[in-house]
Amino acid sequence: MSGGAHLRGQRMVVFVPGNSSETEIRDWCVKYLARTLDLPEETVDPDAKFARLGLDSANSLYLIVELEEWLGIELTSEVIFEYPSIAELARHLARRATGENSVR
Amino acid sequence: MPGELASLVDVLRHRAAEQSNDTGYIFLPDRGGERSQLTYADLYGRAQAVALRLAQRGKRGDRAALLFPPGLDFVVAFFGCLLAGVIAVPMMIPRRDSTRDASAAILADCGPRFAITCSDLIASARPDLTERLSNARVEWLFADCPRGEPDHANGALSAVERTDIAFLQYTSGSTSTPKGVIVSHDNLMRNLEMIRIAFGNTRQSTHVSWVPHYHDMGLILGILQSLYSGALCVLMAPVSFMQRPLSWLRAIHDYRAEVAGGPNFAFDLCVRRHRPEQMEGIDLSCWKLAYNGAEPVRAETIERFHSTFARYGFTANSAHPAYGMAEATLLISSGRRGDGSITATVSRNALQHHQAVSTTQNEDVYRVVGCGRSLIGERLAVVDPESRRRLAARSIGEVWVAGPHVAQGYWRNPEATNTVFRAFIDGEGVRGWLRTGDLGFLDDNGELYITGRIKDLIIIRGINHYPQDIENTVQDCHSALRRHCGAAFSVHDQNNEEQLVIVQEVERAYRQQVAIGEIIATIREAITREHDIAPREILLIRTGTLPQTTSGKIQRHLARHLFLTSSLAIV
Repeated sequence: MSGGAHLRGQRMVVFVPGNSSETEIRDWCVKYLARTLDLPEETVDPDAKFARLGLDSANSLYLIVELEEWLGIELTSEVIFEYPSIAELARHLARRATGENSVR
Repeated sequence: MPGELASLVDVLRHRAAEQSNDTGYIFLPDRGGERSQLTYADLYGRAQAVALRLAQRGKRGDRAALLFPPGLDFVVAFFGCLLAGVIAVPMMIPRRDSTRDASAAILADCGPRFAITCSDLIASARPDLTERLSNARVEWLFADCPRGEPDHANGALSAVERTDIAFLQYTSGSTSTPKGVIVSHDNLMRNLEMIRIAFGNTRQSTHVSWVPHYHDMGLILGILQSLYSGALCVLMAPVSFMQRPLSWLRAIHDYRAEVAGGPNFAFDLCVRRHRPEQMEGIDLSCWKLAYNGAEPVRAETIERFHSTFARYGFTANSAHPAYGMAEATLLISSGRRGDGSITATVSRNALQHHQAVSTTQNEDVYRVVGCGRSLIGERLAVVDPESRRRLAARSIGEVWVAGPHVAQGYWRNPEATNTVFRAFIDGEGVRGWLRTGDLGFLDDNGELYITGRIKDLIIIRGINHYPQDIENTVQDCHSALRRHCGAAFSVHDQNNEEQLVIVQEVERAYRQQVAIGEIIATIREAITREHDIAPREILLIRTGTLPQTTSGKIQRHLARHLFLTSSLAIV
């Protein structure tokens, strides 16, 4: 519940097309979840299923919203089910972001 | 005027006759979807179609589980049950990846003859549901079937009596011992009238609600109170609100809604997601009653919400803290429309001694928000839970409630019904007080303040969780964890929000540090999957160190105390 409030600074990060790589998104998610779920960063395994990290549905919606704002894309609430780990989600988002930007 | 009608069925007929073309309900879909709506005539027609099918296939008093995604089909099915005299059982759709949510236990407890849903859900979104419910041997019905289907009316539907059961409210999940609150038509009508008076609702009191329909607050304050006062009810999916809370505020603006609310966290979420650019053109001056209930109401939340949204026309006296629970149909205490909120500053130290004493000493101040006064036709008492003596104003004890809105009891559970619904105050004649399990005090003006809880219940984002269920999940997830030797409880974090803590004994053989991290991760995963909560702390403790009574009952309060004073024997 307390995630967004601590992360105000993060929103200042400007997404530059082609620049926000899979790695950047992944690192951002690790940091975000560590703060939100009150876990030490080193224990947030990008390959672990979100449930293993303790991401409940409310917090997963908050994560989605933060990612939407940061990356400037629209996501459905199902995206966490389809890509159920940080690594898979980051790969998907990086691909989508590049795709959408190259179309424009 | 609805007060003269005998049941909600009569209210529906009345609305369908007097306001047939008025829109009763609108559902706002998430981005891009199509808005759907029902006039009172539509609702009555469709509900009748459902009722006739129910009456043809079953009998009065049968139960029907209602499994619906957010939308208007639920409303149709609910009224269909009422018209047919079939007992509605609103249920949360079991989460896809949970193996033992409360739904199986609820089905086993109420033994439904029917499961009503909409065809889309079963056909495409959640085909697994028929399999999940296969043990319950229910007959499936679809609320969205066209009206003119071959089932023809076979005699009129018989009249509803005030004493008939309207529905069962399972107050969120208990996988071990679910309790279905029996709400009669009379209970409903009485509480809806109390709400109408306290809220000052009229036909103009448009309501915008995102609270789930299987939650008592969403059902009664949103869906039913609107029909009762003849006002438009605009519904949104809970997920839409969680992702875009400001869209709720926009809907309040768009429909010039007077009434909208939710649990305390909803107001915090709006503040947190506030973005000036997304609030352009929004005028909230129409919003007269922002009710806040279903979890503890916080003074900071009310202040922050007001200071953030006052610039959009939100007024301080619209904040409307309230208190209630399904056992009293819904509402127990509330201010009157426009009262705003009252905050008492009491001594933290005196609270420990069960007294509410005003203080100005900064380090000792605890701020409690008043939840309004008793409703018309209701009695409130604060009682010593041990001696059962009534306590004077400003003394802290258990909150007890009596009145015509106090429900009939728990479904097929005479023992719990007797304990919770049939209490008596020492030295007073009347039996039939409802014990709320909440602690609080009344001030000299009769304002009720809730200060704590004696029942073992964890409330997170307005949803009730039973510690026994969570403890069972924990003990089932790893062989190192000792059965009946764990405690789940909640503590307040720095933001004063309730957070789940798990304390669990571990078998001696598993004490090596290597295994510990793995076990904790497994527990976290199990709780997240089965209960949809992120536990804040999971602590494994030494064999035999969890406080238990001599008869082996877990002392959760003591475990909580040991946790707060860092006195646990952590492995």
